[in-house]
Amino acid sequence: MSSVRHEPSSRSQPPALLRPRAGFAAAMSAVLLALSGCVEAPVAPPVHLTGDPVADGKAQLAVALPKDRVLWDYRIAAAALRAGQFDEAKARLDDAIARIGGIIANDEAAKKARSYFTAESQKTFIGEPYERVMAFYYRGLLYWRDGQPDNARACFRSAQFIDSAAEQETYRSDYVLLDYLDGLATAKLADDGSDAFARAQKLAKHDLPPYDPANNVLFFVEFGQGPRKYAAGQYGEQLKFRVQPSRIRSAMLVVAGHTVYFTPWDNLDFQAITRGGRVMDYILGNKAVFKQGTEAVGDLALAGAAIAADNIYKDPPRSPPTRDDRRSDNQPAAAPEQKNYDAENAAIALGVIGLISKVASAATTPQADTRTWENLPQYLSFSALHLAPGSYPASLQFYDAEGHAVPDLGRRLTINVGDASRDTVVILSELKR
Amino acid sequence: MSRDRLEIFHHTMKTPLRYVLLSSLAVAPAFFAGCAASQGVQNPSGVAVTEMRPDEHGTVAGTGIESQDLVAVTDKMARSILAIPQITRAQTPPRIVIDPVKNDTRFPINKDLFTDRIQSQLISKSTGRVVFLARDRMQTLERERALKQSGQVTASADPNVVEFRGADYFLTGKLGGLTTRTGAGTSDYILYSFQLIDARTSEIVWEDSSEIKKQGLEDAAYR
Repeated sequence: MSSVRHEPSSRSQPPALLRPRAGFAAAMSAVLLALSGCVEAPVAPPVHLTGDPVADGKAQLAVALPKDRVLWDYRIAAAALRAGQFDEAKARLDDAIARIGGIIANDEAAKKARSYFTAESQKTFIGEPYERVMAFYYRGLLYWRDGQPDNARACFRSAQFIDSAAEQETYRSDYVLLDYLDGLATAKLADDGSDAFARAQKLAKHDLPPYDPANNVLFFVEFGQGPRKYAAGQYGEQLKFRVQPSRIRSAMLVVAGHTVYFTPWDNLDFQAITRGGRVMDYILGNKAVFKQGTEAVGDLALAGAAIAADNIYKDPPRSPPTRDDRRSDNQPAAAPEQKNYDAENAAIALGVIGLISKVASAATTPQADTRTWENLPQYLSFSALHLAPGSYPASLQFYDAEGHAVPDLGRRLTINVGDASRDTVVILSELKR
Repeated sequence: MSRDRLEIFHHTMKTPLRYVLLSSLAVAPAFFAGCAASQGVQNPSGVAVTEMRPDEHGTVAGTGIESQDLVAVTDKMARSILAIPQITRAQTPPRIVIDPVKNDTRFPINKDLFTDRIQSQLISKSTGRVVFLARDRMQTLERERALKQSGQVTASADPNVVEFRGADYFLTGKLGGLTTRTGAGTSDYILYSFQLIDARTSEIVWEDSSEIKKQGLEDAAYR
C-alpha cells in the first residue's frame, strides 16, 4: 500500500466536519468546554472596610460565598470575643458549629474539590482541626459564662474529639486545657473530675492547679499569633503551616491583692504542625502527579507533532534523465511536490493529544486550601480565683521570652464579679482584633 | 455523493488520524468526567449518617443530638410517666417541678428543649392529671406578689398569704454519651435517662431511658 498520494484537488475535499483540522478543532473545543466547567470559581464582591473588625467581618460575611461562611463566622467570633461582644460571638460560633459539628458526607462541593479540575478551596470551609477545636473552645467559654458548665464541658469534649484525628497517636486529643476544663466543669457540677484532671496532668509540662470548685472567677488568657497556612510543593499541593515564635511568652494579672501568672498550657502552632497527613493531602498528591504527567505527555506529543510536521512534504526523488532529455539537453522534469499523509496524520494526532494533555495539565488544580482563621492566638493559658461579687480594678502585663515586660501591651481593666449563681468568665487576649 | 468524494471520505475514515481523533474524543470525557483524583481513597464521598438500633454493632460511631431524637425521646418519656400509678391513681393532680437536664455528652445542646417538650406533651396528653409549677418564673412571680402586697396593683386574694405551691415531684434527666472514632468513621451512643423524684421522700418513683446510636464517615475532603 502506498503511503504517498498526490494531494487531492480542493474540489474533492471531504465535507468540512470530516476534515482532520475541523475534527481537531471540535475535539479541542469540547475538551475546553468540559474543563471550563470544572474551573469556574465565583468571587465575593468587595466590601468597604471601616477598621472595626466585627463590623467589617459582618460586612464580609454578608457577601461571602456560602463556602466561606464558616471562615467569616470564626473570624468575627474571635474579634467579637475580644471586643466584649459576647452575643455576637455566640451567634457566629453557633452558626459555625451547626456546620462543622456534623458529618459532611455526599456533599457536592466536597466531591468537586476532590476532582482534578476544581481547587480544594472550592469546598465548604470548616477549617483544620486546630481551627475547629478553637471554635468549640470559645463556644465553651461562652456557655460557661452563661452558667452552663455542662454545655461548656460538651464543647471541650467535642474539641478534644476533633483533635483525635491526628495521624500519630501521641498527638491525638493532646490539649491540656480541654481535659483540665472538662474535669473542672465536672467538679463544678458536683461530680468526679479526677479522670479528666489526670489526663490533663499527663499531657501537661507543668504541675496543674488542683480543682477548687469555690473558685468562681475563671481567667482565660491567650497570646502570640496563631499558625498561618501556606501551600508548598511543586504545584502548591502540600498544606504547610507558617509558625513564628511569639514575642509574648507569659502574662501576669494583679487583682484584689492576688497576683496570677499565666504560662502557656497549649500551643496552637504545635497543634497545627502535629496534625499529620490528611486524606486530602493524598488526593492533592494525586492531582499533582496527574498535572505533572499530563504536562510531560503534552510536551512529548507536541515535540512528536513538530517532528512529524517536518516530514509532511518531501522532495520527490529525481528520476534519471531520459534519452529525450539528453538529446534536448533538458534537465529531468521536476516531479510535483508530494505530501506524506502518514506524517500529516501523525502530526495532527500528536498535536491533538499534546494540546489535550497541556490543557488538562493547565486545568488541574492541586493547590492546597490555605484559607486560614488568622486571628487565632498561639498560646492558651488559664487560672481561677475566688472573688466576692463586686468590681475589681486589675492590671494585666505581658512578658517576652526573657521575662521582660512589654510596655505597649500592658493594660488596666475592671473585673466585674457577678452573683454566686454562675462563674465569672474573663477572656484576656494579647490580640486586639 | 460523487465517486471522488466517497473515495476521499473512505480514505479519511481509514486513516490512523481518524481513529486517534475518534478515540481521543471518546476517551477524553471519561478521562476528565470522573475527575478522579481520589482514586485509592476508600469511601471518598463519605458515608451518610444512618440511624441504628442501640444493640446493633456498627462499624463506626455516630453523631449528635438532633430534633428527631428529641421528639422520639420526649414522646416516649411523656407516655411512660402518664402510665405510672402515682399519676393514674392520684386523688389530686400531682404538682411537678422540672429540673434542667444535665448534659454529660460531647454535644452542646439547648437543654430546655427536652424539659419544655416533655412538659408540653404531659400537659396536652394528661388532660389535667398533672400540674406543673413554673419555678423558672419565680423572680417574675415574686415581683408581682410584691406589687400586690404594696398595693401598687390589685389583688384578687390576700397577697400576704403564701399561695405558691410546693412540688410533689421533681422531673429531671441526664444525657450521657460515648464516642468512638476509628479509621472507618465516628460513632456516638447517647443515653437519655429521666427520673421522677418524690420531693418529700427523695424516692425515685419512675425512671425511663432511651438510647440512640449513630455513625458516619465524613467526605475524604475533610479527613
